[in-house]
Parts: sequence; structure tokens; C-alpha cells
Amino acid sequence: MTHGGKTTLLNCISTIDTVSTGHIYLDGTDVTEINEKQIARFRRKNLGFVFQDFNLLDTLTISENIALALTINKIPAGEIDGRVRELTGKLNITDILDKYPYQVSGGQKQRCACARAIINNPKLILADEPTGALDSHSSQMLLSTIQSINETMGATILMVTHDAFSASYANRIFFLQDGAIFMEILKGNDSRRTFFNKILDVLTMMGGGVNDVL
Amino acid sequence: MYSKLAFRNIRRSLRDYIIYFVTLTLTASLMYSFLALGFSPDILAMTENMSMLTSGILMLSVLVALLSSFIVGYAIRFMLSQRKKEFAAYELMGMEVKTVRNLFLVENSMIGGAAFLLGSLLGTGLSGLLNQVVQNIFEVTHHYQVLFSLRALGTTFFFFVLMYGFSMLRAAKVIRRQKVIELLYDNQKNEEVGYQPLYRSVLTGLLSLAAMVAGVILLEKALHIQTNEAMLYWSGACLLILAGVYELHRKVPVLLYQLAKRNPRRKYRGENLFFLGQIGRRIQSSGRTMAFVAILLTVSLATMFVGLTMGAGYKANMEAYYPYDAGVAIDAPLTKNSMDSVRSFVEERCEAEDSVTYYLYAVPNEAIEALALSDYNHLREILGLSPVSMSDNEFLIHCDTWNYMDGTRQRLEQQPEITLNGRTLTPAETPILTEPMEQYQMAGTKGYVLVLPDEVASRLSGEKIRLVMKLEDSGYPELKNELKQFLNSGKWQPDIQLGQGLPERVTMGVTVKAWGVANSLTGFTTLSFCGLYLSVIFIILSCSVLAFEQLSAIDRNQKNYAVIDRLGVSGHRQASLIRKELSTVFLIPLFFPIVLTVLLIVGTQFFFGDAILQEGLVLFYGLVTILLFCAIYLTYFGATMFLFRRVILRPEMR
Repeated sequence: MTHGGKTTLLNCISTIDTVSTGHIYLDGTDVTEINEKQIARFRRKNLGFVFQDFNLLDTLTISENIALALTINKIPAGEIDGRVRELTGKLNITDILDKYPYQVSGGQKQRCACARAIINNPKLILADEPTGALDSHSSQMLLSTIQSINETMGATILMVTHDAFSASYANRIFFLQDGAIFMEILKGNDSRRTFFNKILDVLTMMGGGVNDVL
Repeated sequence: MYSKLAFRNIRRSLRDYIIYFVTLTLTASLMYSFLALGFSPDILAMTENMSMLTSGILMLSVLVALLSSFIVGYAIRFMLSQRKKEFAAYELMGMEVKTVRNLFLVENSMIGGAAFLLGSLLGTGLSGLLNQVVQNIFEVTHHYQVLFSLRALGTTFFFFVLMYGFSMLRAAKVIRRQKVIELLYDNQKNEEVGYQPLYRSVLTGLLSLAAMVAGVILLEKALHIQTNEAMLYWSGACLLILAGVYELHRKVPVLLYQLAKRNPRRKYRGENLFFLGQIGRRIQSSGRTMAFVAILLTVSLATMFVGLTMGAGYKANMEAYYPYDAGVAIDAPLTKNSMDSVRSFVEERCEAEDSVTYYLYAVPNEAIEALALSDYNHLREILGLSPVSMSDNEFLIHCDTWNYMDGTRQRLEQQPEITLNGRTLTPAETPILTEPMEQYQMAGTKGYVLVLPDEVASRLSGEKIRLVMKLEDSGYPELKNELKQFLNSGKWQPDIQLGQGLPERVTMGVTVKAWGVANSLTGFTTLSFCGLYLSVIFIILSCSVLAFEQLSAIDRNQKNYAVIDRLGVSGHRQASLIRKELSTVFLIPLFFPIVLTVLLIVGTQFFFGDAILQEGLVLFYGLVTILLFCAIYLTYFGATMFLFRRVILRPEMR
């Protein structure tokens, strides 16, 4: 099913789209009630984005793409290169810093996108099908990266995906169907394999095929 | 079926088509209006050599058509790239390539046809205005009338088909030859970014600057050469300057970009990093186009300035050279009666409204001639100026050549009194008058004249005699030769004043305003109109290229601005970034053309300022050139900005 409403929900949470009814509270702020200027500040301070098609700027190098988030957040110029080097070291992409996006692989692009999303230490990272354009090896590497970001930096990651394997890296999953939450499951102390099987069970219950998980 | 689908496609792609349509319409309109002017029987009947204007406009139209065909080709390629996916979809659905091609051709023919019709309609109105301007220059009574010329319409259509047809055929070839896969994925191709090492950019920049300086030096030398060799210098100078402009516009933006990126403080300030990325790509992908636009703009501005200044300069000088309908100047002490037969000769041919015969008196020990106040006032009356009065012990100086003004003023301060035949005279309340009276032949021969009370003047020796006539309908051009023949024939018998003798060589001059207008103004009108025609079209075409350059990248830009939107850049800051980006794209090719034009204006003022009798004329037309240019440029800039912002900033379009 492809109209579960996951991307719409993600867009509403990320303030890209507006809600027709209801409210969204993030860390005590009602994001449906803030004005355009406040929205921009809210995004800068609280949100990080990772998209399926990377959304990197072809006009900037990998390093500059990551630095862009810092410059927009008005981080002093003297700190920027250091912070970029430190983070990219953790994500293992230091050797591609001076390359342009079209010169690197999809997996590297997505890790660059992750670096850009987390460099400002946002409270919430929104990932819309981040593995959608990657091969299985790159997907696994990216998911491990996202998991380590969550563990080491303590950032909340909200990821939407159709893929049960990707979903198995999460701690908490909401299944959406026809715009409503169908079910919620928690990983708890389960191993990833057990959690993966639980996901498949829910998907079978929902009618099989392609499903939306959040 | 084609036409219906094509019409729907046009409506849908209105955003892409609008600048293209406006450019085509304006080109057709200007071409038609200038051709209609060149073919106008009224204008051609003004002088014998007015066909010079027709030839000039026709020749320039060939150039305009040739250049426009490149721009139209460029615009069609732009639209083709915008719609490749759509064409691929048609082909995937089973539409034949031939059908897709025909659809595109029908669409473009409709746009071209509409632009031609609208352009011709606007051109018809504009040609009426141009007609009035020319008639005003020639001082012919005029009123606005719409000028329709079938010949101009046919010629415009011919040139329009020529410039449009080639581009359409090329576009049809592209559609026919490209594979579906190329059409589908063309806009996903990566844009290669690569720059020369910094030292090479600096070196090339310096060489280009040297070429421009060498060009200016050659230009200065050419001004002092009177032989055909000057043409060599002129060509060399233009070539060096234009080559310098081209290379500098290729290298300077790259250099500035590289320097800005090397400085972390500048690079990381605010949204500079994003802005540099946007501009860097433009410089990389459109460097050649922008440099070419810079050359076009340099030529446009120079042509417009030279054309306008030459036209207006001549008109200003003509007012001073030919203020009287007819005049005869003989540098000999003849009696006033000698001029009676000359006056009768003219009156037999033209009805005279007024005339005056007077002397230019020699002032002892002074390098200035004098006029009697009554004669001076009579001349003023003929020229439609109010008479002046002064007391019997006063004098004034008439000086209509501004370059002598300061010297005259200084002289008056140093020597406020003059003594003539024992009478001391002081300056009148207004000691210097400046209206154009022609002071190198008729009202003086040195550029200025002393005006004395009649009684004082009558005691001086009247060594030069003058006759000035005001004629009904301003006379006719052939009168000048007829008068000359009469004066040189034995029919005219001049009398010499008692006690005076003829000088060794008698200088004789005849001036007829109608002749001056007919034989000299035509060339200058042709130059200024041709200059204006070429420059306005060049500016329009240059602006179109810049607009297309910006709009062709609109989809990529839309994506880029959406990224910074998500990174937390407010709509207000995005709008300001768009403004900055577009201003830079429009400013880059403008820098050296403007610098060179200012240099040209200053240089013209320096070298030719004294030769033009109206003070400040060079600077005035320099300003007019820059303002006219800015008006066209800013209109295109505004239109591009409007479309760009509309697409980028509207959330529903992301």
C-alpha cells in the first residue's frame, strides 16, 4: 500500500506541510501555530533531514554541503572546518570531503546527507526512505550509521520506510494504514532478527505486500 | 489536432515562453519600425541623400537577423531542454518522432506568428514616432501619423523567417536525432565543475587588461591620424578592446569566486556558501555566454552613445552654424548699397520676411571685432530673440562659443573699461550674452564680438560687410550655389567705401540654412538612427540571453532553494538570496561595458567637447545612453526576477 500517509505525516512534523486540523507538539512547541520566521528558526535549531534522493547541492563539495548547515545556523567561521572534519571522521567520509556529490557513490552521498542532518545536534532527525536509492551493502552501512548516531549522540530519529529490514534497526515502530496508526511495536530487549520477524508478522496481518512503517 | 495540442502546450509552458515571446515581438517591432522609417516616402523626400538612411537600416537588418537567429536558436534549445521529458513521454506512448517534431514546430510557428503580428502592430505605432523625431531634427512641420509600409512589412517578414526558420530547422533536427533515453535522462546529467589554477586566471586577467589598455592607446593614436592608416589603428583598437572584454569577463568572475572561496571568513558568513555555489555554477557553465553578452553590451553602449552624441552634436552645431536662412559675408570695406542687388537676387527667388546689412567693425589695437547695437538687435529680432538695451557709455560681449566664455569673463575682470576714440565704456548690466548667432562668419569671426553703442561703432572702420536675410519657408538648398554664382558673376558690381581699398585677398562666404540641413544632417541622422537601432536590438538580445540563462537553471535552483528551506533559511532570506544571485548574473557582464562606456564618454568630452558648441552635450547624451540602457536592462532583470521568484518561492511549485 502506498498511501498510508507517512510522508504527509513527516512533512507536517517537519513543518514543510501544514495540517488541516489538529496540532503537532515538538518539545513543547506547537509547530502548527508558529509563523514563517519562527518555522525557519525552529528547523535550524531542532530538525535534521535525510531524504531518499540525498538532496545535496551539486554546486558544493561534500565538505561544503555539510558546512552549509553550520553557516546557516550562524556558527563562527573559525569552528566550521574543525567540526566538519570531526564528524566526517566518525562517519568515515573524510577522504571524499573535497569531491563534488556527482563524484561519489550513493552510500557516500547519503552519509554526507546524514552528516549535514546531525552536524547542528538537532533534537529530531527526520529520514524519509533514506535507503531507498541505495544498494543492500550501502543500506546496511547507512542504517548502522544512523543507529550509532542515535546511540552516541542521543538524537531522536524518525524514519519512514517501506522496508522491513530498514525498520528492524528502529526501537519503536508505528504501522500506518489509510492515514491512521494500525499498530505500534517496541523492540525492547529483542535481537534485531527477532524484531525483524515481528515486523514481518505485522505486515502479514496488514495484508502483506509493501507497507508503511514509521 | 496538432494546433489544439500545441495551443494547450503553449498555455502550459507560458512561463518559459514569455521572455522568448517578448524578445521576438520587440525584435520584430524594432525591425519593422526602422525599416518603415527607411522606406517612408516623406522621409526620403526630405533630402537628396536620404536614401543613405534606407541603405544603413537595410544593412543593419541583415546583421540583426543574423544575430537574432543565434539568440532564437539559443531560446529554442532552452525550451527544448525544458520539454525533453515531455517529448520522451509522447514517444513512449507511441507517438512518432515526426509527429513530436511537427508538434514542436507548430507550437513555435504559432508563437513566432503571433510575435510577428504583434511586433508589426507595435512597430507601426513606433514608426510614426520615429518619423516625427526625424522630422523634428530636420525642423519640418510634423504631426503624429501611423506609418504603414507594405514594403517594410514584407522585408521584416523576410528577415523574420530567415532568423526564425534556421533555428526551427535546427531544433527539428535535434528532436529527430535524439533517442528517447537521451530525452528522458538529459537533465540528470552531472554538471562538471572545474577551474583553472589561480595563477593562470590571474595571468590571463592581466593579459586581457593589457590588451584593453593597448586598445585604448591605439584609439587615442587613431584620433590624431588623418590618413587611411587611422582605419588600421581603429580596427586594431576595437579588436584588442573586445578581446580584452571577452577574456576579462571569462576570468575576473572566476578569480573573484576562487578568492572568495579561499577565505573561510567570507565563505562561511551567513548564506555566502550557498550563494557562492550558485554563482560558481553559473560562472562555470555560462562563462562564455556571459562574456559574449559583455561584448554585445559594449558594442551596444558604444554605438548608442556615439550615434546619439554625433546626431545631437551636429544638430547643436548646426543651430550655431546656420542660425540664419541666408547670409552673405564679404571681408571687404564695401558700401551697404553693394548688398542691395544681392538682396534683390534672393528676393526674386524667395519671399523675404526681413533682412539686415551691417558691418563688422575693426577695433583698434584689439583682436576683436565690433557690431553696432542697432545691427545686433536687428540680428536678434531675425533670430526671434528679444532686443537688448544699454546706455551710450556701455558695451557688451556676445559669445556663443562656451569654450571662450571663461577667457572672456577673465578678460572683463582684468580690463573692465575700454576706451575707443576717446570715449571710455564700461560693461553693461549683463556684460556677456550667449545665444547662438554664428560667430565664425556672420556675427564675428573669432567666436565672439563686441557690441558697441551705434555712435561709437560708426566712428570705427567697417572693414567687413554682412547681409542676413530671413526667408519665408526657410529658403531652399540650391539657393546657396545660385547665390555663389551670382556673386562670382559679373552681374554683381560692389562699391568700395570712400578712402578704402580692397585687401589683397577677399574672403567671401555664403550660408544657406536649407542647404546645411539637406547636405549634412542626413549623414548624422543616419548614423544616430542606425546606432540606436543596432544598440537597442543588441541590448534586448543580450538581456534575453541572460534571462534564458537564469530561467534554464530554474529546476535545479528550485531544488537547491528547497534544500536551504529545509535547513532553516527563512522565505525572506531566500528572496534576498534570489535577488543577490540574479543581480550578480545580470551585473557580471555589465561591469566592463559600463567602465568602457564611461571612459568613452570622458574621452569624447576631452577630445571633442570643445568642437561641440553646446556645453554639456556629451555628458548629457552619455547619461541618456546609460539611462536608456538601464531602462531596458532593468525591465528584463525585473521580468526574470518576477518569474524566478514566482517559481522558486511558491511552495506549491516545489
